[in-house]
Amino acid sequence: MSKFHDELTRLAVAERDKRKGSVLSNPGMHFPWLQERIETVVTGGKKKRDFTQTTSVCLSFIQEALLKHRWQQAADYMHSYLQTLEDSDTFKRQAAPEIIWKLGSEILFYHPKSNVETFNNFADRMKNIGVLNYLKISLQHALYLLHHGMLEDANRNLTDAEAWRYGEKSSSQEVLINLVQAYKGLLQYYTWSKKKKELSELDEDDYAYTAKSQNMLSQSCKTSASISALLKTPGVWDPFVKSYVEMLEFYGDQDGAREILTNYAYDEKFPSNPNAHIYLYEFLKREKAPRAKLISVLKILHGIVPSHPLMLEFHMMLRKSGCRYFRYILKQDHETLKKKIKRMKKSVKKYSIVNPGVRT
Amino acid sequence: MDFPRSLRPSLFMTGPLGMTDGPDLSFMCSWRDALTMPGSQPPNCEDPTVPLVRNLLWEPTTPGPLPLLPPDPDPWEPGMTPQDLLFRGGHRYQFRPQVGLDVTEQLSRFLWDHGDIAFAPLGRLMLENFRLEGNKGYSKKMTIVSVKRLLQDLGGHQPWGQVASEKAAMDRPGWWCPWAFLSRRLRRFSILGGPVLSRSVSMLLGRLLHEELALRWEQLLLDEAFTGGALAWLPGRTARVGQLVYPSGDFQEVSVNSGGNPRVFEDPGHIQLRGPVRQVVTSTVQGETLLAVRSDYHCAMWKTDKQGPPAPLKVLQVEKGATGVSLRCWPLDKDKVLEEGLGCWILTQHPVSCSPHLPGEMAICSRSGTVCLWTPQDGLQLVYKDPETLVFRDPSPWRWADFTAHPRVLTVGDRTGVKMVDIQGPPGCGLLLFRAGAEAACQKGERVLLAQYLGQPGTACTPLHLICTQFSIYLMDERLPLVPMLKWDHGLQSSPLFARLLPPASPGFPRPLLLGGQGGQLQLLHITGEGPSMPQLAGPPQSLPSVVDSLSAFPPLEPRRQQQLQERLEAPVIGLAAAPPCASVPALLLFQLSAAGDVFYQHLRLRSASGLGEGSPDHPAPEGPAPKATAPMDQSSWTPQASARCSRWAEALMELSPTCPVWAAPTFSHRRFLGHMEQQKSQPMSQKLRAAMAKGQLLRPEDLGTLPRAEPPPAPQCSQQDELTERLAESWENGVAAWWKGHRGQTSGSQTQTKRPKRRTQLSSTFSSLTSYLDIPDTSSPSCSQNLSTSEARPQPPRTQPSQELTQELWTESVQRERQQTLQDMAKLPLQKDTPGPVATPPSQASSLRAMPLRRQAPVLSGSHPPRKKSRMGF
Repeated sequence: MSKFHDELTRLAVAERDKRKGSVLSNPGMHFPWLQERIETVVTGGKKKRDFTQTTSVCLSFIQEALLKHRWQQAADYMHSYLQTLEDSDTFKRQAAPEIIWKLGSEILFYHPKSNVETFNNFADRMKNIGVLNYLKISLQHALYLLHHGMLEDANRNLTDAEAWRYGEKSSSQEVLINLVQAYKGLLQYYTWSKKKKELSELDEDDYAYTAKSQNMLSQSCKTSASISALLKTPGVWDPFVKSYVEMLEFYGDQDGAREILTNYAYDEKFPSNPNAHIYLYEFLKREKAPRAKLISVLKILHGIVPSHPLMLEFHMMLRKSGCRYFRYILKQDHETLKKKIKRMKKSVKKYSIVNPGVRT
Repeated sequence: MDFPRSLRPSLFMTGPLGMTDGPDLSFMCSWRDALTMPGSQPPNCEDPTVPLVRNLLWEPTTPGPLPLLPPDPDPWEPGMTPQDLLFRGGHRYQFRPQVGLDVTEQLSRFLWDHGDIAFAPLGRLMLENFRLEGNKGYSKKMTIVSVKRLLQDLGGHQPWGQVASEKAAMDRPGWWCPWAFLSRRLRRFSILGGPVLSRSVSMLLGRLLHEELALRWEQLLLDEAFTGGALAWLPGRTARVGQLVYPSGDFQEVSVNSGGNPRVFEDPGHIQLRGPVRQVVTSTVQGETLLAVRSDYHCAMWKTDKQGPPAPLKVLQVEKGATGVSLRCWPLDKDKVLEEGLGCWILTQHPVSCSPHLPGEMAICSRSGTVCLWTPQDGLQLVYKDPETLVFRDPSPWRWADFTAHPRVLTVGDRTGVKMVDIQGPPGCGLLLFRAGAEAACQKGERVLLAQYLGQPGTACTPLHLICTQFSIYLMDERLPLVPMLKWDHGLQSSPLFARLLPPASPGFPRPLLLGGQGGQLQLLHITGEGPSMPQLAGPPQSLPSVVDSLSAFPPLEPRRQQQLQERLEAPVIGLAAAPPCASVPALLLFQLSAAGDVFYQHLRLRSASGLGEGSPDHPAPEGPAPKATAPMDQSSWTPQASARCSRWAEALMELSPTCPVWAAPTFSHRRFLGHMEQQKSQPMSQKLRAAMAKGQLLRPEDLGTLPRAEPPPAPQCSQQDELTERLAESWENGVAAWWKGHRGQTSGSQTQTKRPKRRTQLSSTFSSLTSYLDIPDTSSPSCSQNLSTSEARPQPPRTQPSQELTQELWTESVQRERQQTLQDMAKLPLQKDTPGPVATPPSQASSLRAMPLRRQAPVLSGSHPPRKKSRMGF
């Protein structure tokens, strides 16, 4: 019966989508306020059930309370809103956990009386209600814990999420798992860098030194495994790249680091991120790469962020190298300046004719 | 200018809108932004790099905005509502209510209201007579129809008049035929010509009407004419004084006093403009403030000094007859190019390369996809031209242009994306800044509604661009195109067409970003992040009260006026401006301009309890200077001053607009009614009656000048109570059957008795029956019934002026019949209990209460002024 109902619903939705174009000249555009406008007029159609009505009203109350920063009120409404999990509309029932998570986490984050425990409870429950949201919620939960300085808990959370699988591995799931791993890698990097700091304070001949360095090495191996998978996916991964490169550099894997950075800066699939070029430039500078190479990196950066402080270095470098490009730029500026001066002279002349009192 | 050292991790996908395959990494929580990974150094969470302000709140001092100026005297009509456009009572068994335009009702109304336009051309085609086919046995009189007569019949009708509305009020509104008194000739003609007439008219009109309705409906969903807003704040001599510029034609100088209430200087400056203003933009370049205005056919620019009125720089008239390059630039064929698409902006000059003789530049774009740069000195300069949309094909002709941090780079936008164009480079080159697609994780059906450059000249702020869509706002850094720096689902219930980024209340505080929807909803976002840190939300966004929220501050009015007031307050917002907070007063003054031409203001105070205070030394400042700040603010209360202001405003509004609608003449054909009196044309009486009917006035006894009026009105006779009262009274005491018997016997007896003198006493009995009908309402409002009772309760002169009585009878009967019906409906009310009371009783509280239902009936009966007078006479 419910299958039949779902079928009907889908048919109705498909028909609605087909018809929508008849009224608007821009049929592709969706208006979130369309439904509200229509509902002011009695247009027949199926009558809304009380359940649907109360749920939607409750949702709007929660949103309003959130926007007015009335956390207690929002929490009270949230209590009643949980009924939406029992909606007979399949589509709504599936979308419900995500909405509840968004609203609930927002309330718990800002509510003056909420604490980490409450949040943990809520997150753990929500992870198991919407199976599909498990990874997302885990990730956000970990971020929340991280924000509250609970690195251990966050790490455990991410480890749990990493091992989680549901059904066929879809591409979105893969990306999320990669992301979870990368964040885990970042956590490992934090502990690594802490140890590095401790290590720098230790004496090299100490027994503890070797043990620590061994420990660090194993940590870095794990980290590289978890971060490198994500770096193949196009995106903005600044913190990951930065920490990964630092680790690689520390262990003397210059080629690996260069490859990562070059890929991050020059891969077509990645957005043109100025930071990628900056990181590459800084790496090359540390490596004491030839000037031409540095200039070529900065040239790209100049195209993207002409106002960056590194441009001063670029300028100095170009000057020293006596590059043709730089001369061209200078000439260009000169030309425009000349033109402007000419124009100014003209206007001054003009005004002096009209108003003979003004002298040039 | 520093670039953020480390950006927030985000996935970058290419693809069309609404790709659900990839995960949406922007989780839409406002706290997500607080959780950015703190770069390469280990997190020290006790002191996060970005302080999260938990209780950052701009607190409104009043529960709603207050009117700043007296209401705009220009008449304003609320626009169309969904009720006017949508088909009511659609198909059942649908999953969801459908959008269906109600063409049929509109068409039928058009045919009724403007029948002459719809049918006159066809009428003119007709010959003098036409013959109806029929039985051969019929005489000529039956089959030949004279067109002249027909038109004469039609001419006597005036649709949608008094009778129409009366009848409509009684029946279901809108469902009755105004041609209630059809002649047989007309009926025959309508049956015969119906198919032809209706088909030709509906064929011609239907399509056009549907197009128009679709346009209106679209406008109701999104009115793009006012994108950007038509209200601007010009900073004045000091930080506390400024000027408001808005299309009512005024430059209004406003100063903000210490309490935060704006004070309006008396004489506003006016600039005469032709045509409605769609957008007002201001910009301050090197201490010189420029003001640009976009109208339907003009773009104009002014220069304003700190003192004195603005001086016009140049007006650009957009003419139809432009040729050459400017024609390509301004293809102003009205059908093709709707000039609302012209957006104009003053160049926010780059501080380094600003040339002294080019203080202001405007970018103007037309609906055909042309972007021009306009300077007063050099005129128009074509910068970019592309009739196609940027990312994918979209039918909307809306285009937008703005400047960027670089003085020679412009952004060009349409519904599908925003592109940066270097005007020095070869044509056609450019870089997409925003793409409605998977890059920004856009939803299906998402389109760009507004693109605005948020940077300011002179400051080293991040060159951010705000992109608003129906669902979200995006902050884009022009150095990192396609990847949004910040995304926030605003959830506004109308199109967000206005945005203002204001300077921070004091250094270190987040900058308020105001977002205004056309429906009056306002949201305030706290944006932090300058230089090396990323722009992000510094706390949960908050919503601000809209104009409708201040309805409670107005004094209660009578329902009709209350509705009028509410409609006025619900008028769509067409402009948003704000007086920025300054260091001494961390308060914000917000101005809103409604489509009705009214300006409202809202005062906001900063309240930040924790989180940020440690970082900034100015923290005590928020509480210090504002005198009211220490007092706990009760949001739900209005100060007496505010209420007084509102009530004054409401009074002024009521004075401006007369509530009485224009009265329409009656709809019935008086030619038919008075046909039998044509022969008595010499009678002044009938002429007066005719004139009164034509004007739609009541013919009162005084007008006739025949009745003596010195005598006092006779008291109603208790013995002559009407049957209904008696019957009700009996039924109350369970004696109906007996009463009925007696009544039957009485009437039959009286019938036989009075059969003969019937004719003679006909008139008097009419009057007596009239009085018996009338004495019910008499008691309810006796003082008002004087007129009628003087005239009609006097049966003395029945024979002296027969014609007069005749007409009077006609008139009274028609009035009486309607009234009877109403009264029968009212019969259940226990009015009769008090009937014996004398006329002279003063109207007590109880009687006025009892009169309420009758009174309520009165406006429904007619909905116009004179009928109300009539009802007062009757009751």
